[in-house]
Amino acid sequence: MTEGLVIAVPVLPIACGLLVQLARTPKTADRINVAGALATAAVALTLATVALVRAATPSHGSWYLVDGATGVFLAVVAVIGLMSALVSPAYLAGAGHGFFRATRSRAWYYLGFYLFWAALLALPLIDNLGVAWLLVEATTGASALLVAYSGRRNALEAGWKYLVLTTFGLTIALVGILVLYVGLAPHGGVLSTLDWQQIARHAHSLRGQSALLAFLLIIGGLATKIGWAPVHNWLPDAHSEAPPPVSALLSAALLPVVILIAWRLLETLGPTLHGGVAKATFLAFGLASLAIAVPFLWRPQAWKRLLAYSSLEHMGVLALGIGFATPLATAGVLLHFAGHALAKALGFYAAMPLLRHQPDAAEHPPRGVARASTGTAAAIGVSLGSLSGLPPSPLFFSEVLILLGGIAAGQLAVTLIAAALLGLGFLGLAHALIEGLAGGEHQGRWLRGRTVRLAERLTVAIGLGLIALSATAYLLPGSGVVQMLMRGVR
Amino acid sequence: MTGALTWALVISALGVVVVRRRSLALALVALQSLLLGVHAISGASGQSTALLVAGAVLLAKAVLLPAGLALVVLRTREARWIASERHPLARLTLALAVALPIAALVPRFGLLHPGTERAAVGLVALGITTAVVRRGTIFQALGFLIAENGLYLAALSAPGGLPAFIELGLVFDLVVIVSVAGVFSAKIHEQLGTGDTSLLGGLRD
Repeated sequence: MTEGLVIAVPVLPIACGLLVQLARTPKTADRINVAGALATAAVALTLATVALVRAATPSHGSWYLVDGATGVFLAVVAVIGLMSALVSPAYLAGAGHGFFRATRSRAWYYLGFYLFWAALLALPLIDNLGVAWLLVEATTGASALLVAYSGRRNALEAGWKYLVLTTFGLTIALVGILVLYVGLAPHGGVLSTLDWQQIARHAHSLRGQSALLAFLLIIGGLATKIGWAPVHNWLPDAHSEAPPPVSALLSAALLPVVILIAWRLLETLGPTLHGGVAKATFLAFGLASLAIAVPFLWRPQAWKRLLAYSSLEHMGVLALGIGFATPLATAGVLLHFAGHALAKALGFYAAMPLLRHQPDAAEHPPRGVARASTGTAAAIGVSLGSLSGLPPSPLFFSEVLILLGGIAAGQLAVTLIAAALLGLGFLGLAHALIEGLAGGEHQGRWLRGRTVRLAERLTVAIGLGLIALSATAYLLPGSGVVQMLMRGVR
Repeated sequence: MTGALTWALVISALGVVVVRRRSLALALVALQSLLLGVHAISGASGQSTALLVAGAVLLAKAVLLPAGLALVVLRTREARWIASERHPLARLTLALAVALPIAALVPRFGLLHPGTERAAVGLVALGITTAVVRRGTIFQALGFLIAENGLYLAALSAPGGLPAFIELGLVFDLVVIVSVAGVFSAKIHEQLGTGDTSLLGGLRD
């Protein structure tokens, strides 16, 4: 049964993306999209449940791995993908055409979207570093055209920058994989040499210099795709120019899923590196990302650009939690990953009514949204409040867990710097929230149209999800999920 | 792997950094891919899988992708040279200043020949440098191919070679990425009337 689900998870969205090409009218395309998204999410969530229930006994196939980490990441990618698919018709209804010809633009959008989602769903399942790299690269091909979907000059720039920077970053990661493969070749020299368990089993036989070189090249290369500073330049541009449903997938699903690949490498190759270099690399990326993101959170930013810099901040927090590598920090990372995904996705969905009624919010900070639309203001409030770490947001608890994990790991200096930067980031986002909701001149109320109603419904659903996540903050530390998270790669 | 081949690969990559014409740069990269492909096929004689993979790689990198990019070049005529580019000598100096230290400093990692190892790393560095020093979209896309040729050179010199699945996957990804780059190139030219990426400078904080 597991194998059937594993195959269905990436195949269903690909089939849906192809099926949409046959649709003759936009309405039919939207219907196929909704049906396909529901089916894909249902299968993915079923597999995620199986993975979490059987976390103590991970399943392995010839190419897949189903462990606790698979379950957590698959569930979040499924939920974010489903929500993005469901809001896509509302976005497309008002988007017009840009990059593609009018008659085919919707079909191309759905094709790119579903191929992108399929690759994201497959990534947590892959048991092989080489194949995982191929899929990460495939996400670039599928999503670069989506980033430029509007066809605006800035969108073209963002899409091109994303394509060039991440492709070259991944090329560097591939050099690292080649170094690793050559080093491990005496233990096989076949595709399975790059299986996670094989890397963990034979890593000790690598020459110290080769292991270090491979690790640094792979993590450094993946960092460009994750958007860790200082190799994050594409991130603010791509997130701010992509269609909101795609921005949600980029920020809430793509970045963390690539982090999972880096995390699995830390678990398998990291222990062979001397002097804690592996964990220190994560901590360095974490602090650099926080330090570079925080000043931008203080500056007046267009709404989606603010969310993009917030992604940089939160990817830094995840890097710190993984680098601390204590059970408390690991619990924090899981909670942070899920909470950030929900809150960030809501923020991007709120951009749909915002940009429709206040188009200059594409270039300037939003103003006075509370007086114009209560529903949109609620979405912005829940999203930004959560992302800033305002209690009872799950991100407040996750950040506390990660900082406590840092103290438990004996990394007091790093923890203190991180806490100070998080505090500054909170103040920056809180200021942006107050200005966005209550600042600016009085403006007329927006019509409660389709995008506003959608934002209202999503605020309720995601708000409940965030509260539920906050509740799990008390259960996660010491739980089986945390203890057995990476059991599959060892 | 002969020294002449590795030198030919490196010199063709340096040529892409220097030359003005996109078509000439494209021909240099196609030649580079062809040399590597022929070398791979000659090394795979007698092994059907390796021969098949080498043939597929040769077809994709020396024929399909250059032909696709040539089509983009034909459809996107540049009215004048890209003014924002540095002098060819400055580009060459910069490329060498980046590639040579990287090739020299990267420690040996187990390929059969040390010279090939340095050439492979140098090609990857030159591919990335090409994208930095050249402003035209086509030149930046050619940077992908040069870097990938560096990786392919390393893969051919790895003991036992790379698994066929990875090699084919790499080529598939490369075809997708370069095709997407070609589409972008055409669209950017349509909007700006040139493929000069330095004119895409609207997104700054």
